[in-house]
Amino acid sequence: MSRKMLIDGEVNQPNEQEAHYDFDLFVIGAGSGGVRASRISANFGAKVGICELPFHPVSSEVIGGVGGTCVIRGCVPKKILVYGASFGGEIEDARNYGWEVNEKVDFNWKKLLQKKTDEIIRLNGVYKHLLSNSGVKLFEGEGKIVGPNDVEVTQLDGTKLSYSAKHILIATGSRAQRPAIPGQELGISSDEALSLEELPKRAVVLGGGYIAVEFASIWRGMGASVDLFFRKELPLRGFDDELRAVVARNLEGRGIDLHPQTNLTELVKTEDGIKVRTDHGEELIADVVLFATGRSPNTKRLNLEAVGVELDKTGAIKVDEYSRTNVPNIWAVGDVTNRVNLTPVALMEGTCFAKTVFGGEPSKPDYRDIPCAVFCIPPLSVVGLSEEQAIEQAKGDILVFTSTFNPMKNTVSGRQEKTVMKLIVDAETDKVVGASMCGPDAAEIMQGIAIALKCGATKAQFDSTVGIHPSSAEEFVTMRSATRRIVAGTKPKTNL
Amino acid sequence: MATSLSTPKLTTTMSSSPALHNLFSRKLPSPLSLPKTLSSLSHLRRTSTSHPHHHLHSRRRFSVRAVDSGNGADSTRHYDFDLFTIGAGSGGVRASRFAANFGASVAVCELPFSTISSDTAGGVGGTCVLRGCVPKKLLVYASKFAHEFEESNGFGWRYETEPKHDWSTLIANKNAELQRLTGIYKNVLKNANVTLIEGRGKIVDPHTVDVDGKLYSARHILVSVGGRPFIPEIPGSEYAIDSDAALDLPTKPEKIAIVGGGYIAVEFAGIFNGLTSDVHVFIRQKKVLRGFDEEVRDFVQEQMALRGIEFHAEESPKAIVKAADGSLSLKTNKGTIEGFSHIMFATGRRPNTKNLGLEAVGVKLSKNGAIEVDEFSRTEVPSIWAIGDVTDRVNLTPVALMEGGAIAKTLFLNEPTKPDYRAVPSAVFSQPPIGQVGLSEEQAVEQYGDVDIYTSNFRPLKATVSGLPDRTFMKLIVCAKTNKVLGLHMCGEDSPEIVQGFAVAVRASLTKADLDSTIGIHPTAAEEFVTMRTPTRKIRKDLPSQEKTDSDVKAAAGV
Repeated sequence: MSRKMLIDGEVNQPNEQEAHYDFDLFVIGAGSGGVRASRISANFGAKVGICELPFHPVSSEVIGGVGGTCVIRGCVPKKILVYGASFGGEIEDARNYGWEVNEKVDFNWKKLLQKKTDEIIRLNGVYKHLLSNSGVKLFEGEGKIVGPNDVEVTQLDGTKLSYSAKHILIATGSRAQRPAIPGQELGISSDEALSLEELPKRAVVLGGGYIAVEFASIWRGMGASVDLFFRKELPLRGFDDELRAVVARNLEGRGIDLHPQTNLTELVKTEDGIKVRTDHGEELIADVVLFATGRSPNTKRLNLEAVGVELDKTGAIKVDEYSRTNVPNIWAVGDVTNRVNLTPVALMEGTCFAKTVFGGEPSKPDYRDIPCAVFCIPPLSVVGLSEEQAIEQAKGDILVFTSTFNPMKNTVSGRQEKTVMKLIVDAETDKVVGASMCGPDAAEIMQGIAIALKCGATKAQFDSTVGIHPSSAEEFVTMRSATRRIVAGTKPKTNL
Repeated sequence: MATSLSTPKLTTTMSSSPALHNLFSRKLPSPLSLPKTLSSLSHLRRTSTSHPHHHLHSRRRFSVRAVDSGNGADSTRHYDFDLFTIGAGSGGVRASRFAANFGASVAVCELPFSTISSDTAGGVGGTCVLRGCVPKKLLVYASKFAHEFEESNGFGWRYETEPKHDWSTLIANKNAELQRLTGIYKNVLKNANVTLIEGRGKIVDPHTVDVDGKLYSARHILVSVGGRPFIPEIPGSEYAIDSDAALDLPTKPEKIAIVGGGYIAVEFAGIFNGLTSDVHVFIRQKKVLRGFDEEVRDFVQEQMALRGIEFHAEESPKAIVKAADGSLSLKTNKGTIEGFSHIMFATGRRPNTKNLGLEAVGVKLSKNGAIEVDEFSRTEVPSIWAIGDVTDRVNLTPVALMEGGAIAKTLFLNEPTKPDYRAVPSAVFSQPPIGQVGLSEEQAVEQYGDVDIYTSNFRPLKATVSGLPDRTFMKLIVCAKTNKVLGLHMCGEDSPEIVQGFAVAVRASLTKADLDSTIGIHPTAAEEFVTMRTPTRKIRKDLPSQEKTDSDVKAAAGV
């Protein structure tokens, strides 16, 4: 496609039509959002350049890799480890099904780590191909903004390249943060946790978010003893309280020691391992201490101040609904904007950006009913509102349907672990406004439920759907009577 | 309230959702066509006689006196029960329980418990619980571990000695679970105040049931006796086993022939293959699962073959011969294969309508022995009704439940309710399993002409690490004119779980645009359904189809 396809939408600047630029678009950061935006823009006929730091599993200011967090240090390697860890529970479950599994089961961490690295290297290659097949020019090096239309890329050998671009897109993502406690250098972040040389026997995890519970599950499934410390009463703040309690119960049921309302105060190196002190005065020894205490946007070394791109307090780039910064031809998508930090959301933002700027179709990302999953074991998955959010936003009554059951597999395996499902319904319209589930396959099950919410499904439509038998998912269409009705204006539940 | 009953998950209370149950659908034309809301009353086949006039004043328990003035029942006559149900399987239990909750006095009779069904053996819970869905799924779980052990090797797990399977442990634990479940079902009936009578029910007249010599009168009789496996008469067929027996074998088959290409055949092929039997499947046609989407049929057969199952296509059994050493040979139209320890026939099921006294009272049967019923599940005799597999409509547990719920509403809630057969999702628990809802490509083309087909055939993340040749296939069939999703199919891990939510979306008029605007859950297999951007082919009447090749790699998140 030729350049004449470059029809700018209403959001574009006048008087620039005649200026010549090296690129129509230069993207800094080739993660999920950046690659998607580049590729789609190129498909619209734009001439696109993209830069990315050199590849390595552990990120730093000068290390990254095409594919970004999701592929190299997030979703993909994490899920591979979760798969690997899940076999621990499967082996236990197999016994009552007649399988004689030798007590001596050996888990070879190094082998899995190698497989994981092979896979992310493969995907790194796939992504590079995606870019080159779309005609996007890839530069390896660190990108900086030197003017509203100028980017400088410092290559590995130190040479600098300068390019002008009509539009600049920042998609540099985020990185794990560490708490400021004495001995914090002895701890690791999720980057390193995905690439440990040795599998820890004793792991300590600090944090109550999804990364914390996922790694706790991973290590526990592989046989380590795991202590999980978090500030609140329950992990996973922001999720439905009832489901948070279910996750906490299941983590404990799988053998993880939970330490709610507890913080770490100090790490000390000892001969026996890392000595961990808590604000409750406890001490324990660990081989590995993981800080899963949040991530912050990668905005420090982009030289944004030179052009006046505004940041918020967390260091995230401020953007409007079209992902545009306060500088009209500089845009930002993905975790660097700290909106909803999920890969599929970055993809959506990338696509909307490309449509807006190069597709002649101004498009705002739609943040309603975004489903997501936490891959703890068993997983949690949700879409729409939690019960607490529904109560807060409700104008009328809310109906809550819950189902707690023993999944069929457990009836023979003997595993004591209930699956819990929940639907939140607007009593007046009968619309299902939220769904959540904690139990095996929750993430796979929730995708279709998310579609149903997108279609505006009513509870009556859920009820009229025939179940797939025998499955866990069918429980979502057989919740006949409400567990409770929350009358508008009342808030019977405590917020944890 | 929470349904905390253990598997199978029994709904312990109910509420009505009349709006959707009243949706009219005469002959299930297109499962996905727009619902036409019509007054269900005006479409009763026999308005004058079949509409029950209820005068229920309360839902509390009391004998429903004037429940019916049009079914030949004498409204002044006293009946022992308002409803007498023959057969306590999924449909019968559901109908009885709901009817009792609506205030009717209800009895249900069922044959004594046995894992193998016969004219004299059955058990509360019926096929689903005792000889179908539940034990089948438990054996699928058991056999699937074999695949998981293989996968786990790729993920770094090593077993000092390869895991061995002990058949008797599995069967004992499975049977303990079935005993527990039949007990739960009995309790469910008891708690609903349904009288359970053990014995063989036979209809004597339109209002009388004989159970082993004792007579019970009832205002309405419901026949829900289900179906049983059918083995065709060929020489040596007495050596063959059916699915009842296959679920309860005392020892593991070393080498088994499975005759048949339907879902039962492929499910058992997967079970025995996983539990390390040598499995041969003999199908009359070229491929398995007639009636399913052609691409899905090809895909599942290929995946099953990769896991070690040997298919013998277009090969029909002619005779079974037992050798001196006790092993069995199967003679087919193509030759003889020897050395089977077991030969299983999965050659269809027949309704259990023999010796029920049906013909004598005037209940009409179809050629295959199924009870003919109208849209309200009523037979030719106004006081006799039938639901579930015995009517051979859509033979699935949740459909029998739907029919049972509908009949209870029709009879005892003054709410004539037709079961709605549009967009009934279903699963095949083959390995890998299949989940589907709506039309196959072939049906869609026939009914709609212009359709867009989206397919994705990818190697799931788990397989890239395990190194096994597992793949996943997904397919969307979209009406070119309306953008509506007409059919959705998947074969691969977790398909049955994944498809359920999509089935709800289909009920809510799912369009391709809805799919496109939904955010994926990453990384899952299911997200692939919302990231299918370009049609694999567009099928247009009078035009050759335009095809693109499948992309092979499921790049993470489809970036």
